[in-house]
Amino acid sequence: MNRISASQISRRSILAAPLVLGMPYVIGRAEAQNEPLRFGVADPLTGPSAIFGLDQMQAVRWAVEDINAAGGVNGRKLEAIIVDHQAKPDVGIAVVTRLIQVDKVPAFITAFSNVVKAVAPIANREKALMLSVGANSPDIKNLGDYVYTTFPLADVDMRALGSWLYTKQNKRKAAVLYVNHETGTEGAKVFTAAFKAAGGEVVLNESYEEQRSDFTGLVLKVRAANPDIVHIHSVISDFTAIVAQMRQLGLNTQVTSFQTAFNPKMIQELGKGAEGIIVTAMAPSAEDNANVPKYLERWQAAHKREPIGLPYTQYFHDAPYIMAALFKHVLDQKQPVTGENMRKALLAIRSFDLPLTNRITFNDDHTVNAPTYFWQVKDGKFQVVGKL
Amino acid sequence: MDLTLDLAAQLTWTGLASSSSYCLFALAFALVLKVNRIWNFAQAGLMVVAYFAMFIAFRWLGLPPVVGAIFGAVVTILAGMALEYWGFRVLRQRNSSVLTFFIFTIALSQFLIYVAELTFGTDPKTLFPSIIAPVRLIGPVVVSDWDLIALSVTVMLVAALWLFLRKTREGKALIAVSDQPELAEMYGMNKDRAYLVAMALAAILMSAGMYLIGTKAAIFPATPLSQFMIFAVIATIIGGIGNIFAAGVAGVFLALLQSFSILVIASKWQILLLYILIFVVIVLFPQGVTLKFSKRGPARKAGHLPSADDSTEKAP
Amino acid sequence: MTEFLLTLAILAGINVLLACGFNLILGYGGLVSVAQPVFYAIGAYSSALISMKLGVPVPLAMILGALIAAIASIGLSLPSLRVSGDYLVIASMGFQLGIVHIINNVEITGAASGLSGIVSAVESPSRSMIYAVILMCICAVTIFAIRWLVTGPYGRAITAMRNDEDVFASLGRDAVRIKVTLFAVGSGLAGLAGGLYAHYFLFLTPDQYGIFSSATLLTMVVVGGAATVRGPVLGAIFLTVLPEAIRFLDLPIAVMAPLQGALFTGLVILFLFVKPEGLFGGKAGGGLDAWQGRDTGGSGRKGVK
Repeated sequence: MNRISASQISRRSILAAPLVLGMPYVIGRAEAQNEPLRFGVADPLTGPSAIFGLDQMQAVRWAVEDINAAGGVNGRKLEAIIVDHQAKPDVGIAVVTRLIQVDKVPAFITAFSNVVKAVAPIANREKALMLSVGANSPDIKNLGDYVYTTFPLADVDMRALGSWLYTKQNKRKAAVLYVNHETGTEGAKVFTAAFKAAGGEVVLNESYEEQRSDFTGLVLKVRAANPDIVHIHSVISDFTAIVAQMRQLGLNTQVTSFQTAFNPKMIQELGKGAEGIIVTAMAPSAEDNANVPKYLERWQAAHKREPIGLPYTQYFHDAPYIMAALFKHVLDQKQPVTGENMRKALLAIRSFDLPLTNRITFNDDHTVNAPTYFWQVKDGKFQVVGKL
Repeated sequence: MDLTLDLAAQLTWTGLASSSSYCLFALAFALVLKVNRIWNFAQAGLMVVAYFAMFIAFRWLGLPPVVGAIFGAVVTILAGMALEYWGFRVLRQRNSSVLTFFIFTIALSQFLIYVAELTFGTDPKTLFPSIIAPVRLIGPVVVSDWDLIALSVTVMLVAALWLFLRKTREGKALIAVSDQPELAEMYGMNKDRAYLVAMALAAILMSAGMYLIGTKAAIFPATPLSQFMIFAVIATIIGGIGNIFAAGVAGVFLALLQSFSILVIASKWQILLLYILIFVVIVLFPQGVTLKFSKRGPARKAGHLPSADDSTEKAP
Repeated sequence: MTEFLLTLAILAGINVLLACGFNLILGYGGLVSVAQPVFYAIGAYSSALISMKLGVPVPLAMILGALIAAIASIGLSLPSLRVSGDYLVIASMGFQLGIVHIINNVEITGAASGLSGIVSAVESPSRSMIYAVILMCICAVTIFAIRWLVTGPYGRAITAMRNDEDVFASLGRDAVRIKVTLFAVGSGLAGLAGGLYAHYFLFLTPDQYGIFSSATLLTMVVVGGAATVRGPVLGAIFLTVLPEAIRFLDLPIAVMAPLQGALFTGLVILFLFVKPEGLFGGKAGGGLDAWQGRDTGGSGRKGVK
């Protein structure tokens, strides 16, 4: 019987479709040497944290451009696939799953503690190397074999801040305010413990919802508690709102925060109210790194301003360099480019000398260390006032 | 935490001043509920419209404060009336169900929020570059210029609204239509016109409230829906459906409650109070908690039509 | 790519269960509650915590999660039966926001950071395939069960109750019992969907269960066609696949999320005005206005005119 019915034809073409669609991958693999080396980047590009995410992506793009201009990795181009996770865990899960399963990246970068925590199981399950850049929840070191951070976790800078405030700044009573999610809760915990351990007293310890914009009640409570230092473990705009409302109530108490407050826009919005604010930063200042001034000039030339979250952008700028080094190692060893091998490369190389963050060394327990810099707002600009 | 007199004074003052915008939002919501008989969740969307109209006025066009505020109000009035004319009126004519109105108003708010995000970006925004206002000490209490502006604007608007509803013909017609629509029509009052006027009034209240908010803190496009509407809704419920000024009072009361409750409960549980209140009040006191004994608020009295049937509570 | 499509299918299946449950409450029961996501959350968190803390095997934990959700629904339905219409909407909103807020702030659920490390239902390389098949079976059973329910004598009773409650009561039928039951079944389904989600995606955050998710569910039911059997099913599938399809269009990233949102809500509004019976309603006489014009009596609320 040679007659083929119409339904048989259509059934056949349906079956053939995946083969046809899959062909490019098959062919592609054979000619792999000209394929770009891809890694994923998941960051917030929309939503409340986007003002950080967008500048971080600029840093990533510049790094990738520079690496490719210098010849790429063994002659092959480096490519970053950038996706938006809106700093929301469920969106993060969706986009990271796509990165791994559809774009087939062997490694990816991401940030924001709540998202990092959510996507870690995916990285571990799919054996894709995950580099957390900038998220600082201490839990991150325990998230699995395939999860590494290039950025020191809160137990580094918050511990430093807690004891530094007591010993060097003579603060005795702290009010601690923190945003109600991973970033805030964990960071605040470390700070509170460190401040107490140094001998200080924590007179107020309160969380608030991320989307809040009216902090009247909270600020009144701070006033009632009468601290000499207010540490705010915030995201971005909440910091500005809280400090503004504090200043409006005549509260001129010293305010501290961590790296997310390293934000020139914040200074602009607060005006005089920003004077004296102290933040920690984990990236080297111009004194400790010769590339930083040139980097800042690049920002002025391209965007006529300073980057928002300068220290974070330094880490994001260097992440593609780490990726490039890993890819190179894997290719030099003549191994297939898989997440597993990328991870092995990381453990083999261990220490990376990077353009904007000096040297990063991955410890066995998945942590990295770096000196904590203390910056203070003086005359409308951030200046280094200490280092630990 | 000790409640000293100083602290209590500060809490009261700041609480009152901050309650101003919430009072305005509650009044707007209660007004539309009373006259148009709609739980207007699209108010959040209109608040977004008001905010970004003023944003454009101040940030893009560089208009001075009063002009910009009026610009914002006008845009919102137009939007509100459009909503009534092309939205509510159509659904009303079709005898649409509760659910249809609910979905429509919520979806419209969300739609406007997304459009705002597309046009202006998703990062938080204030109306002016600086949100710091001058402060002065009056006794032990810190008083900022914003506080004074907020309180005076609110008092003026509430007074204006009261006068309008009680003294002007248009205003009395509004009340009459809301209490007894068919009867009002017999007296020659135009229902549709009343609906439009109510939306316009609500728009003015809303944009004033958003002006105050935007000169104090940054908001996301989604903030009106995710934060402010709750206050307006529960204030209206507590005040009693149909009692506009009670809703305003309830709004102030709630804001004060939030202010003072920080003394006893952690900040993070404050809003839970509100949610529980909503549930409890609706389920136990669907008529409203305050002024239950008085079926007629001051505005109602003004608009009372002579009629044999005085029981205005039953649905016609 | 298959992995990705399977994950999508699983998500669609979960949404189908959610939408069908919601439709029972809303479309058939005429009960205007927006609290469906909260029972989804209760089911998800209960199932996850029971299996994590008490070591209960996953399938049993899921069933328990569904039961807990169903029982919890009585906490909302019973007191709220004194009120209806707009009041019920608001009461259910308060209920939902309250519970989600508690989840968001309590240690045991992981608070705002979310609950991670949930036990997976299936451990195997073809995990997604197995899960997808199981889910399809559950959906099929559910759809048939609902169909059987609403076309049988029970279904006729529901329709009678919806159309004229006073007459219904005068005939000696217990409207309260039917409503509470419908609510419990619908919420139980949501709870089951929650458990299924938890043990596949292995991570829960309170973010997913807010007001916006109520709106999404409503969209699925409305656009699909309320008070029909196939409406919510097709609506759920359509609305799960559409956002992913949009993502493939490779639009500028910063624009994508709000654009999707605007498209969706725009669609809903359009449907409300142009085709209120939904995409797939119509013939079966379903749609939002299945209980059109019914003035909900009760405690003196003013009808919408």
